[in-house]
Amino acid sequence: MSIKLTSEHIEQIKQHGERAYPEECGGLLLGAMEDGGRVIREVLPLENVRKDSRHNRVELSPLDYARAEREASKRGLGVWGYYHSHPNHPAVPSGFDLDHAPFIEWSYLIVSVREGKAEELRAWTVREDRSQFDEEEMTQIATE
Amino acid sequence: MPKIAIPTALRQYAGGQESVEVKGSTISEALASLTAQHPELKKHLFDAQGKLRNFVNVYINDEDIRYGQQDNTPIKESDEISIIPSIAGGLPIGDALKNAALPELNKDEVARYSRHLIMPEVGMEGQRKLKAASILLIGAGGLGSPLGLYLAAAGVGRLGLVDFDVVDHSNLQRQIIHGTKDVGRPKLQSAKDRLADINPHVQLDGYETALKAENALDIIKDYDIVIDGTDNFQTRYLANDASVLLGKPNVYGSIFRFDGQASVFYPKAGGPCYRCLYPEPPPPGLVPSCAEGGVLGILPGIIGVIQATEAIKLIIGEGDPLIGRLLLFDALKMKFRELKLRRNPECPLCGEAPTITKLIDYDQFCGITPQPEQAADTSDWEITSVQLKEKLDRGEPVTIIDVREPHEWQICNLENFGSKLIPLGQFPAHMNELNSADEIVVHCKMGGRSAKAYEMLKQAGFKKIKNLKGGITAWADQVDHTMPKY
Repeated sequence: MSIKLTSEHIEQIKQHGERAYPEECGGLLLGAMEDGGRVIREVLPLENVRKDSRHNRVELSPLDYARAEREASKRGLGVWGYYHSHPNHPAVPSGFDLDHAPFIEWSYLIVSVREGKAEELRAWTVREDRSQFDEEEMTQIATE
Repeated sequence: MPKIAIPTALRQYAGGQESVEVKGSTISEALASLTAQHPELKKHLFDAQGKLRNFVNVYINDEDIRYGQQDNTPIKESDEISIIPSIAGGLPIGDALKNAALPELNKDEVARYSRHLIMPEVGMEGQRKLKAASILLIGAGGLGSPLGLYLAAAGVGRLGLVDFDVVDHSNLQRQIIHGTKDVGRPKLQSAKDRLADINPHVQLDGYETALKAENALDIIKDYDIVIDGTDNFQTRYLANDASVLLGKPNVYGSIFRFDGQASVFYPKAGGPCYRCLYPEPPPPGLVPSCAEGGVLGILPGIIGVIQATEAIKLIIGEGDPLIGRLLLFDALKMKFRELKLRRNPECPLCGEAPTITKLIDYDQFCGITPQPEQAADTSDWEITSVQLKEKLDRGEPVTIIDVREPHEWQICNLENFGSKLIPLGQFPAHMNELNSADEIVVHCKMGGRSAKAYEMLKQAGFKKIKNLKGGITAWADQVDHTMPKY
């Protein structure tokens, strides 16, 4: 699998991570499957609904997810992934991330934000047996 | 008919549809109707026990069924049912360790940890995480020594030590936390003195007890990380099971002669546990302990330091942990090898349908049975070293057979009393050299191997045989204090 997105999408995710710093943030990736890969058409920053531990935990509202699905569907898109930030940590999934990864069909993007500055962004997928994450090839495409 | 909205990711298993019409008057009927129409969906929504997977939420309109009547929540024709994933993320365990604000470092601590602080991977935040962290060391022996020394020096805030042993001369070749002056002292006391000297900022908590099924959960529950520095299978399985049940990472290490291995068992983070690697313990006596087989004194240093490194990486959340990897070290070849470890879905402890949900009897599991009848009836098959000495002093003819290895014979032996060396491995082949009319006493270092020789002789029809109780070690303790012990 691979994921394609534009430099604007990357910038949006990074900016969200920087705005939320030192707390974590997250959002959904709307797009479509094309030629066996996920192509992202829209980044949807969402609210972190955790009340505690916001510097190391992020949780999205189920109702926001449902709205995102409806919104995507109107535009002929779907929800194909999820991103979140790791303040002062590498863009590598944690055990917590593995425990909480809902779909093996999704892309999981993680942006590392160090001292308020977004650094690397990496994409991951979950193995079919849910035993671990593997890094996913991420390709930057031109803005339409 | 009610409709169930399918998440994008799962539509490929539902004929590509965004929603599916279902029959039924409750949620469970509706879900059954859904999976009857699209069987492929089943494994994505339900786990092996047929329960909804933990990330699957079911909503009726905008209401979570968990706040209604769960599976039995009634549904109406017009209801829109949605399958909604829980979406959450978070930092690695280092941060999960402590949700509360991290403790500050004072001026002394900043000076002490400066070589850590100037590395971006540790820095102030990493050092404060170390200060916030707590680690339980099971055993203050060979592995526990380097573990304790380096983890205390590194500034881990709280170290727990479990040990009930006393420092012995034979420990000093590798257990570098103890010194010659400590021989005869409880290991716990000796270790605490040394660690407090290395770093007075570390809180040290000792448990002068064996780790047992009765106390393990209670002791471990307060710690972030468990480090297994034990040398027996009962405690190893116990430490593993208790760590898994409490969701704690267990940093494993083991040593024998010139070989060592290390891994991090952490099913909560997706890795395997010790039982995935070794579902059953070996039969008792098959795998010799370090006391029986020996160990290169440096080896626990190497393996213990690897364990300490892994613990620190888990705390600061940097690098690739040894989760799912078994590191093998061969000191003679001076080579490290790595094996990939997979989580066993059938594992009775961390698998999909666990059968071990509480601690068990580990002596029984490892085939260790108490030996009451033998102890009660010593005279029948055993002889104490004092009794043997008296016999020899009376001039009674006794054939003494030493079943140890030649290199052990070189350390100490009973040659002055006519002892003959027949190592246990060669015993069956040389048994016929013995005369069943003679009174025979077999011995080894502690009495274990010679008990096997005793059995062989008995099977072969020998009647006048005794096993030397406690082996040559007991002889050195009770009869000949000039004899070296090992």
